[in-house]
Amino acid sequence: MPPVRLSNQLLGTLRATSLRPAAAWRQRCNYHSHEHTQPPPFLPAESAILSAAIAHVPHYGFTVDALKLGARDAGYLDVSTNILPRGVFDLVNYHLVTQRLALKDTVQFPSGGEQGKRLGLGGKVRTLALARLRANEPVIHRLQEALAIMAQPSYVSPSLAELARLADEIWYLAGDKSVDSSWYTKRAALSAIYSATEVFMTQDTSKDFADTEQFLDARLEDNMKVGGFLGALSEWADYTAHSAVNVLRSKGLRV
Amino acid sequence: MSAAFSPTRSLARAAVRSVPPAVFEMRAPCTISSASRQKARIHSTPANTAQPSASARSAAAALPSHDSTSSDHAAADSAPPTGPLTQSQRDFLDSALRVNQAGELAAVLIYSAQTPPLLRSHPHLRPLMKHMHDQEAGHFTYFNSLLAKHRIRPTAMYPVWHAAATLLGWGTAVMGREAAMACTEAVETEIGTHYNEQVRVLLDWAEKMEKHGETLGEELTVLIGELRKIRDEELEHLDHAVENDSKEARPYELLTNVIRGGCRTAIWISEKV
Repeated sequence: MPPVRLSNQLLGTLRATSLRPAAAWRQRCNYHSHEHTQPPPFLPAESAILSAAIAHVPHYGFTVDALKLGARDAGYLDVSTNILPRGVFDLVNYHLVTQRLALKDTVQFPSGGEQGKRLGLGGKVRTLALARLRANEPVIHRLQEALAIMAQPSYVSPSLAELARLADEIWYLAGDKSVDSSWYTKRAALSAIYSATEVFMTQDTSKDFADTEQFLDARLEDNMKVGGFLGALSEWADYTAHSAVNVLRSKGLRV
Repeated sequence: MSAAFSPTRSLARAAVRSVPPAVFEMRAPCTISSASRQKARIHSTPANTAQPSASARSAAAALPSHDSTSSDHAAADSAPPTGPLTQSQRDFLDSALRVNQAGELAAVLIYSAQTPPLLRSHPHLRPLMKHMHDQEAGHFTYFNSLLAKHRIRPTAMYPVWHAAATLLGWGTAVMGREAAMACTEAVETEIGTHYNEQVRVLLDWAEKMEKHGETLGEELTVLIGELRKIRDEELEHLDHAVENDSKEARPYELLTNVIRGGCRTAIWISEKV
């Protein structure tokens, strides 16, 4: 191939990948305003096609067939699926985003003034994670396919970003208000726990996914143990350092 | 986003340098009629400190309290609707509030670390140090609550700034009273400029929205008021530092330039990371 044409092709590919669809960047809403409306995560045409396609996933899987049938149901031509440049990944992403955003409506925690034990932060995180896992049930037999799509090199990064957003959403809905470095450790830990549990769930054949619940509880308990140990260690180190400095000061050393 | 941000920063900096540091904004009392009182409250600092909360409340009362869609309030036709925020505005608020929280963390730690060595040799500074530390702690609490409320990510450099600020405070206090005051002076100069730029950008948004017949909304109006108050308190700390012989520190130029450069770098990093 002549070098000029090759370089033009490469430039064209680079340009295409850099001009990401507006929808992909719309989800990067960092500042959550309680007064101003949030823009919707998907454009109207995309939303119409994908919501119709999701209904076909249990039967056809996360494939172009489901997309084409969805386009037809929404009243578009089959070729309209070309407005989704990432193809089946856009369908997987739609499932992830809609289930994440549905969490705040599907899970309500009873507010104060009730008899019985109130759920602590950990309990709420568990409830929210379970709710999100159960939302996978209609497509659970297709989820390994979805994970395989997400694991493709060009889709690893947006998938991880979506996982991070899910962890953030769960902590926020559970009522976490920390804004120091534990913000990062909490979300990283929950992302790891959630993704491990989801993979476990894809091969879980127990009744009503009881094994998945047990798995989640075991992972959360491990996390508490490790977190507790690290917390105690850092508290000890802090105390020892402060004591050493204070002893030196009491001896008259100008520290 | 950066195109909107950097000209404002450099413009604001140029404007600040040409104006004497004591006068950042008009502080004339408000004497105009009530019809334009809401607009005037955003664009001027009221004369006494009791007014900002009253003005925020009156601004809030004029705006619909929980509606965000303009179609919902049929009765509130007199109140202009709250304008939507663009992605670049959200990004600005995100990074600005993240930097502010990191800055207040550093300030609290600097004062905490400076206090023991300083008070050993100058016990009469105890009330001043306590006053400044308490004000910074109040600012820190305020920005923490904002970050939690608006789901803003704190800076990933949090532990690094924690260590660096403690070291800076302890180091300058061990160098002496003048050095500690010079450190305070340098940090507060940078912080004052920084907050001033943010207030300027937010006022610019308010002006643009008013041209379209929209308002900035209660959240941001309150934020402007709070940023002003915080900026004024930081400049008060600057004045206290200068009163306490910060300019007598040796080596003054080196110390202040290094600290100011460090602050600017830290601000730049915290905006991104």
